[in-house]
Amino acid sequence: MKRRAILAFTLDNPGVLNKVSMLIRKKMYNVDTLTVCRSRIPGVSRMTITLREDDQTRVTQIIKQLEKFTEVISAKELDTDHSYWREVAIVKLEVDVAHLQDFTERYNFEILEQKGEDVHILQIVGSTRRIDAFLDEVGQEHIIEIARTGVTALEK
Amino acid sequence: MTGKKLLLKALKDRGVKYIFGYTGGAIMPVFDEMEKLENFTFVMSRHEQGAAFMAQGVSRASLSTGHPQIGVCMSTSGPGAMNLVTGIADAHMDSIPMLAITGQVATGVIATDAFQESDVVGVMMPICKQTYMPLYADDIEKTIHEGFYVATTGRGGPVVIDIPKDVQNAQVSHDYQFDPVAFRPHLPGYFYSPTPEREPLQRAIELINRSERPVMFCGHGVINSNAGQLLQKFAEKVNIPVAFTLHGLSAMPADHPLSLGMMGMHGTVEANRAILEADLLISFGMRFDDRVTGKLNEYAQNADVIHVEIDPSEIDKNVRTSVAINADVYRTLHVLLDDPMVTFKPRRRWLETIDVFRNVMAESLAAEIAHGVGTGNKLLMKTIIHQLSEVTQGRDLIVSDVGQHQMMAARFYNYQTNNSWYASGGAGTMGCSLPMAVGVKLARPDERVWSISGDGGFQMNAQELGTIMEHNIDVKIIILNNGYLGMVRQWQTFFFDGCYAGTPMQSPDFKLLAQAYGIPHRKVENLEDVTPALQEAIDHQGPMVLEFICDPTEVVLPMVPSGGGFEDMIVKHPQKIDKDLAGEGDAA
Ligand SMILES: Cc1ncc(C[n+]2csc(CCOP(=O)(O)OP(=O)(O)O)c2C)c(N)n1
Ligand SMILES: [Mg+2]
Repeated sequence: MKRRAILAFTLDNPGVLNKVSMLIRKKMYNVDTLTVCRSRIPGVSRMTITLREDDQTRVTQIIKQLEKFTEVISAKELDTDHSYWREVAIVKLEVDVAHLQDFTERYNFEILEQKGEDVHILQIVGSTRRIDAFLDEVGQEHIIEIARTGVTALEK
Repeated sequence: MTGKKLLLKALKDRGVKYIFGYTGGAIMPVFDEMEKLENFTFVMSRHEQGAAFMAQGVSRASLSTGHPQIGVCMSTSGPGAMNLVTGIADAHMDSIPMLAITGQVATGVIATDAFQESDVVGVMMPICKQTYMPLYADDIEKTIHEGFYVATTGRGGPVVIDIPKDVQNAQVSHDYQFDPVAFRPHLPGYFYSPTPEREPLQRAIELINRSERPVMFCGHGVINSNAGQLLQKFAEKVNIPVAFTLHGLSAMPADHPLSLGMMGMHGTVEANRAILEADLLISFGMRFDDRVTGKLNEYAQNADVIHVEIDPSEIDKNVRTSVAINADVYRTLHVLLDDPMVTFKPRRRWLETIDVFRNVMAESLAAEIAHGVGTGNKLLMKTIIHQLSEVTQGRDLIVSDVGQHQMMAARFYNYQTNNSWYASGGAGTMGCSLPMAVGVKLARPDERVWSISGDGGFQMNAQELGTIMEHNIDVKIIILNNGYLGMVRQWQTFFFDGCYAGTPMQSPDFKLLAQAYGIPHRKVENLEDVTPALQEAIDHQGPMVLEFICDPTEVVLPMVPSGGGFEDMIVKHPQKIDKDLAGEGDAA
């Protein structure tokens, strides 16, 4: 199913996240990630929702339903061609340094800490696909734990 | 000044006359203050759900008067607030502006599972337009006024304001200082666009002028924006027949030559057949819910759709539009009426086709109505409604409950007065009628009000006879008693092989019940007594209960089965169909 990102600016009120998550449940949307941060304007939050949906009318409906909330100032879809979608992953893995070295050229990661011989904590930034590819190449069997932020997105 | 005083002053400022509700620990300070002011008439319901429906009644009935009022209901925290839930969810589904004010436990104990604490904001959030919990008395004025603003603008809806007890009592340093002229709620995320844009209007007019088989739809938005007269004028101007949603009824006289009556599941043959054949649907203030459309992928396949609707999220939700006009219905009709490009067309063939549809059931229905009784010589609901319509000349206010009697009241009362039909539509809440009729009567005291319920729904809020008794509220109460949860029984007849699971019902002696409340009661079993009983209720000053003993085998027809298309419309009772096939005629 097609991956979509919706960017919403909302008032920084306690009920907003509640409303959005209730909407997701009520309308049974396939949400992958939801990230919220402050925006440049005090009192206004920035929310990025990614979901899987092929049906354009359903996506339009989500946006309209979001806009209907009194606290949502604007909501729109960001398409991949005209926006950057990025996330951060922090990965704890058991692997020897030499193996990691193979990837430094192609992937943008940073080793935050080395614990003992071969346990590393590293941070990688990129698109979801890029992070997935990195993890696959390193080898899922080396991974002890992953923390991912979910996608945040910005229009070009 | 205290929080509770600010609250009541703000309500007063907004023209609130009646407060419906029920007291309890967390709202006592407000009740105490209310008692000391002489500004309000407090009407105590016997259950908080009743208060919510009374408030709805006020909002619904007064919107077409010179003094629209917003219904207000009030309850204590916990169980009190939870008892409001059904009435609020119902108002939300039906876009009824109203205010629910609930007491909450004091801020110091919130989130400790204090006595009678429930998360009112959390519960109400998905079933109302907006919720508030002011945490400081200083916020109360702003909250109430913003609440009214949100409830009444755009697509209306209920607003819930949950006020902790200590906030009600808290002192503020200033006096009540609201300035209605300067008031601009700070709502950067709240938009509505009442004025229609030029470009889609032009395209709509082109489609209308080009269309050969158009049908106009009159939805609740027509009633809510008080645009019934404009709609009628526009229909006459362009000579286009009008079909009504359940909530669009009474926007125009039901017997107007261009009226097709109600559409949808229990709509008329002429409305549903016309929609099936139409090349253009012009819909005003409605949301194409499944009771109206039936199976979506078979709905109006060959028609362009013009959708005039104040709520943008309803546009293209269920039915794809050719022209979307996101605007207030009243304003749109106003512009359309003044537009010189809009032309009258005779549409003779189309109107003749529609007359053929009208005739499909006209005769058999007329015969049934005239015959008046069904199995065991028990009364037919449609006949009772028809006679009610005759004695009142279609001019009275009808507040219906939910069930077969509701569909009969929708179909067979000849509505002549704008905004004279009230029912729970979107939610279909049994028990709404009796309390809603109380609100309707208080809002329109000079008009006659009938509450029509089934034996089932009546018992869901029968306790409100207490309120009617106490305030001597002059509503004429009709119980169409068929001994069953009739509407469900009908589905069982059609779709569950006549297995009547959970639908037969024993009722109390309604006479004794009414008498217990000091309200006179008449039981009517014979056809010739129907009109005299109705007349007696009319002549009687004050409330009266009329109980009609009805035929449980009567069904509402036609019927488009749930999930079916209009092609699947059932126009005959299945038992009768079988007998027809067996050559036994129609004697059921
Ligand atoms: C609160 C509630 N519970 C259940 C239903 C489901 N329901 C719809 S109509 C109906 C039967 C109504 O029976 P009655 O009030 O006797 O009216 P009748 O159909 O017999 O005229 C039921 C149970 C409902 N609409 N509302
Ligand atoms: Mg019944």
